[in-house]
Amino acid sequence: MGTEEGRKADSAKSFYPSEEEIERWMSNAFDMAKDALENGEVPVGCLMVYDDQVVGKGRNEVNETKNATRHAEMVALDQLRDWCRRGNLDASSVCERTALYVTVEPCIMCAAALRLLNIPVVVYGCRNERFGGCGSVLDVSSADLPQTGTTFKCVSGHRAEEAVEMLKTFYKQENPNAPKPKTRKE
Amino acid sequence: MEPQTKRWKGSVCDSDSWVAYPVLSDEQSQDVELIKAFAAPIVNKKETSRLLRELSTLYPLNGLQHIKRVRAVREKGSPHPLEVLVCLVSDAPDTKVINIDSLLPSDGVRRDGLGEPFVVKVPARPPLTRPQFELASKHWPTSFHEDKQVTVALRGELFSPPQKARMHMYMTSALTAAQAGKELGMEAVGAVVVDPATERIVAVGHDCRGDHPLHHAAMVCIDLVAQSQGGGRYSFDRYPACGFTSPTSDPFQSAPGSEASPQPYICTGYDLYVTREPCVMCAMALVHSRIGRVFYGTASADGAVGTRYKIHSQKDLNHHFEVYKGVLGKQCEDLNGLGHHIKRERVQQSR
Repeated sequence: MGTEEGRKADSAKSFYPSEEEIERWMSNAFDMAKDALENGEVPVGCLMVYDDQVVGKGRNEVNETKNATRHAEMVALDQLRDWCRRGNLDASSVCERTALYVTVEPCIMCAAALRLLNIPVVVYGCRNERFGGCGSVLDVSSADLPQTGTTFKCVSGHRAEEAVEMLKTFYKQENPNAPKPKTRKE
Repeated sequence: MEPQTKRWKGSVCDSDSWVAYPVLSDEQSQDVELIKAFAAPIVNKKETSRLLRELSTLYPLNGLQHIKRVRAVREKGSPHPLEVLVCLVSDAPDTKVINIDSLLPSDGVRRDGLGEPFVVKVPARPPLTRPQFELASKHWPTSFHEDKQVTVALRGELFSPPQKARMHMYMTSALTAAQAGKELGMEAVGAVVVDPATERIVAVGHDCRGDHPLHHAAMVCIDLVAQSQGGGRYSFDRYPACGFTSPTSDPFQSAPGSEASPQPYICTGYDLYVTREPCVMCAMALVHSRIGRVFYGTASADGAVGTRYKIHSQKDLNHHFEVYKGVLGKQCEDLNGLGHHIKRERVQQSR
């Protein structure tokens, strides 16, 4: 590929995860979500994969940090940055070649954060009807927002039912810190 | 001629130099939508209550409870004093010729006292604000359950002079922080979190994205608030203009038997003052943090609480908050330019 355009197209194609990759990395993400559930956090697991290696993994740590923005994706993004620092790599160019695997559709905040870091592709399990930023509540992933990084591709639906079940189990338990939510019909 | 400096000083210090307007939901700010209906003159006033009863059985106008069925004819010299809504055009029988006979089947409504129908436009939705009400009423009398606070806010008169003076002070702190961040090579954005119940500044922060691309001023403040509650994830110690104050432990409040004040939970009940409109990430972070109100100086291109989205009033989300824009708008706008309007005066910050 001699041209800049060609190189870009080539690299974009190489990120598009294969079935095997989705299978393998999502299984990893699901293990993390289970771990979160056992620790009383929202059961969302996610990992960031660069050059066939996990460079960041996270689970929700809102309660332990008392910071409501510490979603799994935000935690994983910080790990990616630490990984780059240790390896003396430029985080922004690593992000441009990193795929995110997450059990639940990223929320509006996380979708915007992923854009700001130019993550090109996000693979997720189930939709996030409450907060989803990849189409469920707002479509931040593909919206025309020139000041908010770049759009990203979504691959959705992998083991969606299982991801929903974990969320349901969690929301049946009470979060003692949160104000009482309005009751919802099941 | 007035010396230039006098006017300049006045614009910086005077809280009369700006007005805070509410950023309302789309439903509250949209134009009045109209639908077509058939109205008819009531030529015999004595028949009015019977006509109303019979018409509302035949054509109930479902979902249009805000519409008054009868209106008085204001023009002097009108042969009839009242007009009544017969039905929506969309509910009328599908006939070629529209007259009062075709609209009213012989067994439903006795048409004694009714004149020939004509088309009017009526508001399709109940008005939510006084401007919507005034526009709607020009077309057909409409009832309005006024939210007085919204009416006053739309006039820019919600906040009293002492309240405005405090808001002025908080935004000045945010401006000072923005300036400090700018001098470190960050984007010139500053923010302050205030507990309005105690009028105490809980956190002050500025943009730190030179360090971390997601450390926008609001995100910095959210973590500083977490730190004030014994949590937090980052350290902003190397930025002297970023900081927080822990809730003071008042011995009288924590005395046994007295009613303890509730532990603060993330940003519940707090106000954020930020020099420019938050982006999508920050706006949603504020939803997750359950912020009480957001005040910003100036709009931003991808802004998410007014410009591109209204995340604070987004349906389906579990938390909504009020947003006001224009606090020290001119000074906040100038941050993006040369920023020479911001005097390097140290604003007293309670730390």
